[in-house]
Amino acid sequence: MRRAVLALLAALVWAGGGRAWAQANLAGSGRLLATSGITDVEGTGGGGLVPWALITGYGTNDQIGANLHATVAGEPDFLLTSLGAGIGLYDRIEFSYAHEWFDTGRAGARLGLGQGYQFHLDVAGAKVRLFGNAVYDQDTLLPEVSAGAEFKAADRHAVLDAIGAKSPDGVDFYAAATKLFLSESLLVDATLRFTKANQFGLLGFGGDRNDSYRPEFEASAALLLSRRLAIGAEVRTKPDNLGFAREGPAFDAFVAYFLDKHVSATLAFLALGPIARQGDQNGVYFSLQSGF
Amino acid sequence: MAVRAALLTAILPLAGLDASGVVVEQLNRAFTRSSVTILKGSNIRFSNVDEFDHEVYVDSPNFNYDSYEQSPGETAVVTFTAAGSFEVRCHIHPKMHLHVDVVDH
Amino acid sequence: MRILLFASLLAAALTGRCMAAETLYDQLGGHDGLSRIVDRALTLYFTDPRLHADFDNINRDWLQPRFYAFFCKTTGGPCVYKGRAMAPSHKGLHIDQARFNAVVEDLQTAMDESRIPFRTQNRLLALLAPMERAIVTR
Repeated sequence: MRRAVLALLAALVWAGGGRAWAQANLAGSGRLLATSGITDVEGTGGGGLVPWALITGYGTNDQIGANLHATVAGEPDFLLTSLGAGIGLYDRIEFSYAHEWFDTGRAGARLGLGQGYQFHLDVAGAKVRLFGNAVYDQDTLLPEVSAGAEFKAADRHAVLDAIGAKSPDGVDFYAAATKLFLSESLLVDATLRFTKANQFGLLGFGGDRNDSYRPEFEASAALLLSRRLAIGAEVRTKPDNLGFAREGPAFDAFVAYFLDKHVSATLAFLALGPIARQGDQNGVYFSLQSGF
Repeated sequence: MAVRAALLTAILPLAGLDASGVVVEQLNRAFTRSSVTILKGSNIRFSNVDEFDHEVYVDSPNFNYDSYEQSPGETAVVTFTAAGSFEVRCHIHPKMHLHVDVVDH
Repeated sequence: MRILLFASLLAAALTGRCMAAETLYDQLGGHDGLSRIVDRALTLYFTDPRLHADFDNINRDWLQPRFYAFFCKTTGGPCVYKGRAMAPSHKGLHIDQARFNAVVEDLQTAMDESRIPFRTQNRLLALLAPMERAIVTR
């Protein structure tokens, strides 16, 4: 599945790029700096943990934008790495892909899996902006609203089965409402997600405690300090499907720096809650995004 | 629009050379003609068929005119009472230019 | 003693009133400050390659006072704007979001050069942003 999604995304970027050559300003990065957000761990445009309604990239309603991201999150017992790409079409549709490596380090040995045992997760995302424009709609309370889905496939089926996960694959559905209050230099987002994912999907979907879709609540607030700098905080609640290991909400506090419309970097402090019985995982996250 | 402009400016001078006016349209921030020759005492009707306001003027030693604001749909009638060569321009759009030769009977 | 008390209360009230009445126009520097910003922004517009189509055939001497009056009025300044509304005055230019945003970016640069604080700049952008609906027709 991963290769097919990669091929599809590459084809889309190539097609978008091809049309961009043909129409000089199709890849013109017309949107204002920082108004596309960053990329979350699952490759979706938004904050660091939470998908936002904003369509990724700097393309206006008649342009295409795309980007690549690389993220590393170091926790006491785990290392999470994510690499991926996203494309935004005409400020209306977003496609994304991310591959995650979840390295258990010494916890792997403690869990009987072996030191440095890795889980992998493929995430293919699609998002469509339904209505609203967070930047232009300053004279109304109406937010920018998008709906999306993340198609996730984990590996290590035998291990997932052993810990009680009902499926290695799953789909998350979400709706996000994002509002930028320019007069306060403040951005807020509220996202509702229906998911069965265990630890974002890294430990499969559904479990012995629960195997039905649960609504989960996610929110971000970001203060723009300057044209290039934003600070913010996020919360993301998660299901708790596995009897084997309890799971709780994730939080982060971040600083995002937008060098220009081609490069941005984010540093965050993450509190992911307990993972696989190893205790609360608080650590540091660093992400680089490059695109147009 | 462009076809109608071309027809009007072609037919009218043929129809009445002495006293009746010539119509020049303002369209896409330009005059639909670059030059025109008229008889002294006749007029040019500047018809704004553009999506912009215009402001026609002539600034010369022996003839002056200013239409002031000319909204889309409005026509400014300029009667050339002096013979000679004049440049008609727009206060708002500096690239608009119509050269007018006014000849005696 | 009472006169002193009254005077200081009056001073406090007047000061409070002045500060409460400070408009965005005042925060942008009033007449001189806003004039400088508008002047610099227009210079940027006339030289911005992204905006060539829009500023290629427009008389700056005609445009600048209208630009100033519009910004002055919009930010609560003591001006009357007698020009056209945003939609009819821009309709013929077929402006897209990229060009609208380029105008915003150049305005931000002009405000940066006048050392207008970021949060104050955003208050102006908050007033201008909704005009996208009227100005952008592509």
